[in-house]
Amino acid sequence: MKVLVPVKRVVDYNVKVRVKADGSGVELANVKMSMNPFDEIAVEEAIRLKEAGQATEIVAVSIGPQQAQETIRTALAMGADRGILVKTDELTEPLAVAKILKGVVDEEQPGLVILGKQAIDDDANQTGQMLAALLGWSQGTFASKVEIEGENAKVTREIDGGLQTVSLAMPAIVTTDLRLNQPRYASLPNIMKAKKKPLDEKTPSDYGVDVSPRLRVLKTEEPEGRKAGVKVGSVSELVDKLKNEAGVL
Amino acid sequence: MNREALLQRLIAICGSANVLVDDADTAPYLKERRGRWTGKTMAVVRPGTTAEVSQILKLASETGTPVVPQGGNTGLVGGQIPDSSGRAIVLSTSRLNRIRDLDTAGDTITVEAGVVLQTIRETVDRHDRLFPLSLAAQGTSQIGGNLSSNAGGTGALTYGVARDLCLGLEVVLPTGEILDDLNRLKKDNTGYNLRNLFIGAEGTLGVITAAVLKLFPKPAGVATAVAGTSSPEKAHELFRRARQAAGPTLSAFELMPRIGVEFTTLHIAGARDPLAHPHPWYVLLEISSGRSEADARTLLETVLGDGLQTGTVEDAAIADSGQQRNDFWRLREGMSESQIPEGGSIKHDISVPVDRIPAFMADAEKAVLAITPEARIVAFGHLGDGNLHYNISQPAGAGKQTFLSLADRITPAIHDLARRFGGSISAEHGVGQMKRDELAATKSPVALELMRRIKRALDPVGIMNPGKVILSD
Repeated sequence: MKVLVPVKRVVDYNVKVRVKADGSGVELANVKMSMNPFDEIAVEEAIRLKEAGQATEIVAVSIGPQQAQETIRTALAMGADRGILVKTDELTEPLAVAKILKGVVDEEQPGLVILGKQAIDDDANQTGQMLAALLGWSQGTFASKVEIEGENAKVTREIDGGLQTVSLAMPAIVTTDLRLNQPRYASLPNIMKAKKKPLDEKTPSDYGVDVSPRLRVLKTEEPEGRKAGVKVGSVSELVDKLKNEAGVL
Repeated sequence: MNREALLQRLIAICGSANVLVDDADTAPYLKERRGRWTGKTMAVVRPGTTAEVSQILKLASETGTPVVPQGGNTGLVGGQIPDSSGRAIVLSTSRLNRIRDLDTAGDTITVEAGVVLQTIRETVDRHDRLFPLSLAAQGTSQIGGNLSSNAGGTGALTYGVARDLCLGLEVVLPTGEILDDLNRLKKDNTGYNLRNLFIGAEGTLGVITAAVLKLFPKPAGVATAVAGTSSPEKAHELFRRARQAAGPTLSAFELMPRIGVEFTTLHIAGARDPLAHPHPWYVLLEISSGRSEADARTLLETVLGDGLQTGTVEDAAIADSGQQRNDFWRLREGMSESQIPEGGSIKHDISVPVDRIPAFMADAEKAVLAITPEARIVAFGHLGDGNLHYNISQPAGAGKQTFLSLADRITPAIHDLARRFGGSISAEHGVGQMKRDELAATKSPVALELMRRIKRALDPVGIMNPGKVILSD
């Protein structure tokens, strides 16, 4: 079984994101970029399936600028077998990404597509679901456990108030939640090997997809800063403030 | 002057909210983190301005009241803790916490003594500058204390220790006089360098109230790796090659033993084994680049790739994200804390010339195991600048007190060895009360006499942090 893992290049989780002075977006110049953490989990899960003898090949695909190639190399260094870069300098939206991925799926015919449940830059949480709809495949979102049982994937999902286990007929879509696994570090020998792994370059038009944005960003602004706290002198003052200022009593 | 009258004078200077006398209020100032030193105090005073510090010291000189300056209370040698007489006042610098100036053209920042080190680092980071002093306690330690103890840390390899990062100081002398030497100049040859007297004096000559610090351009990219290696010799060999290849852009080179990695992954939340298989030793190394992260990463891969081929490196992992970089550093930063749950620990902060580290470690291990064969040696630290934290954890399951009593034999053995290798018994933590007598017993008589003359000249009444570093008579 082939596993397809889409990986997105995003602003690093540890970077404090700054809004551009003109409010047109966030500052991306000289900002550290890394693989979306949920996608790292997806890559790790695919590798574990391969190590368990349940997957035969892992294909990492990224849609983005030339530098997204580094994100694919990271996936290859972790253990993916080959990569596909679909190159575009547009800011891609989930529907366009899902359409391109459908094109890749049509070509590659994977048994499983494992995606991060969302990317930490736009937090859209849509691509996996849209891809399932476009393909007409089953989907197991927010997975905390994935087990392959013959032709089915048994997926434990993190839902409000508990866990839900679903059985999906494969081919299927899985999106990863935080507790699915802990991604491995890329080891030096594997980083060296990854440099020699095949990486194909494509464009959105190869898949007949128009990536021009459908949304227009009107304004980007910083959230309001937290106001400093005050010390209250007595319980009655506290109650008064809770009633009349905070309005919570 | 009786105690009450003195307290009234102190309150008149800094206000009653800033003169703490209740046990519950003063307790946090009288005990260091590991509980090794405790003391008593008449009051903890928290001046908010240099002028208030000046009035306090003038009053203390007039009344012969000992003054113990204290910053974030993270010192490891008891320098910030008063004695048990209860005569001393603790002078906390925590309210002297203003950033007075940030000069991005000249790359300097002027800060008051109580500004927390991390705050300085974060403030200048927002302006794409780097203040390279970095140590495990940086979230709590204050710059005044960092300078007074001439702190080292992980950035010393490339940027030097606290002393090297300071251009100017404002100091209040025991008389109350204010030495305004807030120099922003790289070049200034106008007589004796006075600020260097106060840096590293551990509060025995005066109170540092503000400083001008050197800033550097923030590197455009940093690449971080953990490498597994078979011995300190191999680690040293890797260091030589990395230094040759990266020059000053080799910004960290830290050595960790397997047992330290085991303690850390066992006891520190979120820490995990960096490599697939265990290795006897680990090195955390970092290369910075003014150009780009890719630049730093390429160089790091080359250095480690050569290491793999020549056998200095058995395996390595390179951080792919800020999160992974933090993971690697958590291993190193947790090395000290993770010894606590393992029972008693006898600690040393030594330095030797870098090329002698492997030989020192071999001899030190023999010496320690001759005294206590089951002890677990957790020797880690800044291999790149010759500074090791040569810590020894008790044998698993042994009695803590019995083990700690061996310090009387182990510590002299380690310190003798360090000296024999041309090293120092206090690399970056200072002398405080912990190493005062040993310093007196081992430093050259000429050096000691000079120190005493300086102490007497600057602090004739002997009020500044008495009993620390050196006795004036």
